[in-house]
Amino acid sequence: MIQKVIDVCTRVEGHGNVKIYIQNDEISNVEFEILAFRGFENILIGKKLSDVPKIVSRICGLCHASQTIVSCKSIEEMYNIKVNQQSVLVRRLLMAGELLKSHSMHYFFQSFPDLLNIFKIYTKPIDIYDLIKYNPQLTSHIYEIIKIGNDIDKLFGGRSIHAITPIPGGVIYRPSRNRIIIVEKYFLRVLSNLEWIIKNFIDLFSKFNPPEDFVIPNVNFLSLSNNKSYDRYDGILTIKKGLAEYQDFRLEEYIDYFDKDPTIRGIDFTDKNHNYLVGPISRNQVVESYGSDEISGYLSLFDEKWRNNILYASFLNLIEMYVESQNSLKILEDPILKSTIPLPNLKSIISREGIGVVEAPRGSLIHHYRINKRNVLKEAKLFIATEINIALINNMISNYARKLYEKKDLNKVKKEIQKIIRAFDPCISCATH
Amino acid sequence: MKLKILIASLTSCSGCISSVLSSDIFPQFLERIKLSYFPFISDENKIEECDIALIEGCISMDSQIELLKDIRNNAKKVYALGTCAAFGGILSLSEKKKAGAISDVVQIDGIIPGCPPPLKLIGNCLIRLIENKEIKLSEKNLCSSCPLRGNNNIPFEKPVNKLNPSNDELTIFNEKSNCFLDNGILCLGPITREGCDHICIEQGIPCEGCLGPVSKDYTSNLINFLSLINLSKDLTKYKGIFYRFSKPKIGW
Ligand code: SF4
Ligand code: SF4
Ligand code: SF4
Repeated sequence: MIQKVIDVCTRVEGHGNVKIYIQNDEISNVEFEILAFRGFENILIGKKLSDVPKIVSRICGLCHASQTIVSCKSIEEMYNIKVNQQSVLVRRLLMAGELLKSHSMHYFFQSFPDLLNIFKIYTKPIDIYDLIKYNPQLTSHIYEIIKIGNDIDKLFGGRSIHAITPIPGGVIYRPSRNRIIIVEKYFLRVLSNLEWIIKNFIDLFSKFNPPEDFVIPNVNFLSLSNNKSYDRYDGILTIKKGLAEYQDFRLEEYIDYFDKDPTIRGIDFTDKNHNYLVGPISRNQVVESYGSDEISGYLSLFDEKWRNNILYASFLNLIEMYVESQNSLKILEDPILKSTIPLPNLKSIISREGIGVVEAPRGSLIHHYRINKRNVLKEAKLFIATEINIALINNMISNYARKLYEKKDLNKVKKEIQKIIRAFDPCISCATH
Repeated sequence: MKLKILIASLTSCSGCISSVLSSDIFPQFLERIKLSYFPFISDENKIEECDIALIEGCISMDSQIELLKDIRNNAKKVYALGTCAAFGGILSLSEKKKAGAISDVVQIDGIIPGCPPPLKLIGNCLIRLIENKEIKLSEKNLCSSCPLRGNNNIPFEKPVNKLNPSNDELTIFNEKSNCFLDNGILCLGPITREGCDHICIEQGIPCEGCLGPVSKDYTSNLINFLSLINLSKDLTKYKGIFYRFSKPKIGW
């Protein structure tokens, strides 16, 4: 007989459960289960193209900018429109603001308490009040970054969540010197906070070897890369297999790798033997350069043991915020941001379908739309980071649970496997699209 | 005694709670209250007696009703946080899923509307809640203070045939521009509560009604408005407007 035990995940974004299957007093399998399924792919059918980016934004309040922007990119492909450089820069700023907020919230509320516990620095249960008091400097630095990320998206997006300004064809943008000065100060502030936080991370954790149970098994790392450099807006999707085998991912032929039935939840992989991983770790694996000298110094403090461990994602969260703040400062100096450039009109549709990709904070995000004769959507497929990672999450938590259950303490199993889940930074809102 | 506060999510995008988390006042709010349940940031997952419950998200599954009733029984006051909880929200667009407002199944004490609610509104509401006062919302519509309206009446008679301005119309938009309805572009300002500082309109995009109506029922407001204006056939049939943030109430 198979016994099924269900436990609720806490400190994850959205509602998730873990289902533990026990047979003959051994754990046979564990699944990370996501309950509500909203069916955005169904919602999109019959919708006008100009309406689609605004609707998909509501898939997720954490990666709304990525959702909106990838949607615009997919639609622009149908119109065969090249977005002007100014709009590209503003989109990058919006994505940077989103990343600051998403990564800093995840780091503070989800990863940091787990890291303290895993490395036995703080072994008592840690509630939100203990957490904010643990290191007041960390709390205030993080809090400032969360708010700045929010403000940047408000300043460039018109609204801090579910941005108004990105539309098919570009971004609604009126140059403002004042705004640039404010945002410049913001990014400088973030950089100085991050220097402190990164150092704090290094002081606390770099001396440890990360636990083996959190090692990522042999997977395909998938990420955008732009001439081998870090880029979340533009580039080519690349797969890295094993240590050094790189392959271009042919986006137009994604069904060679995975596909989905848009009426049900989940992705089907063609190659069932290899799981895919997307997100900061894959970006780190695929990309050869973050384009920043400071970063190379920080990264060199962590060896291969860390690089292959899912706990490294939390350090990479900090690194990515740092890189994008530096890049954003360069964007703000670009004279293109000071000029008024009209947006191209959407005239005739060249292609009946469009595929777009960006790297959302949690990993590669692909939208694919098809339209009918009346130019409204007849089919949509959305491939979302957390969904891509679920197979690997299940693989890792099952292995860990089996090992932990040798001591027959189910409560411990429940508690510990959630740390792996949280280290993946799953976004349940996204995954329940 | 500090007020005990519970913050829970039903079917949502988490945008409302992440707005609460990133509002200026949140750190101060945390200090002045006792957070009794907020799974997003806390391991505590038992629902206990509390003074105020803030609920984000709509009801899309029967199993959520039990949770909601449990919260109602334990909370002195229950507020809908955001348009999903207040009216059903974006999932109303689905033909396959239910998207109920929380007031469909429990009595509520107020709403903090918006998708997501504007940060200023969240800030004001949190302060009033800490002080144990009722939430106050404007009773006026968006047009009453719209920068595009001036002293003019709302041009209900003009033919309306577009959802959005085209991209070349956008770039010429400025403060002297006319009301969207004047230009044949659908704007839901007349049936939408003010309180967002006209953020879409200031970007040159018409209001899609995310704060919901001043009086309670979203759908009847929309029916009245759409029948009042001279809407093109194409848009009359377009479900993206009608079911954008709410749909007629269903039984649970
Ligand atoms: S009201 Fe909007 S922001 Fe809030 S949960 Fe619903 S979709 Fe997200
Ligand atoms: S209809 Fe829209 S644009 Fe016109 S006055 Fe009202 S809110 Fe302003
Ligand atoms: S203008 Fe309308 S759609 Fe835009 S934020 Fe305000 S109420 Fe919401």
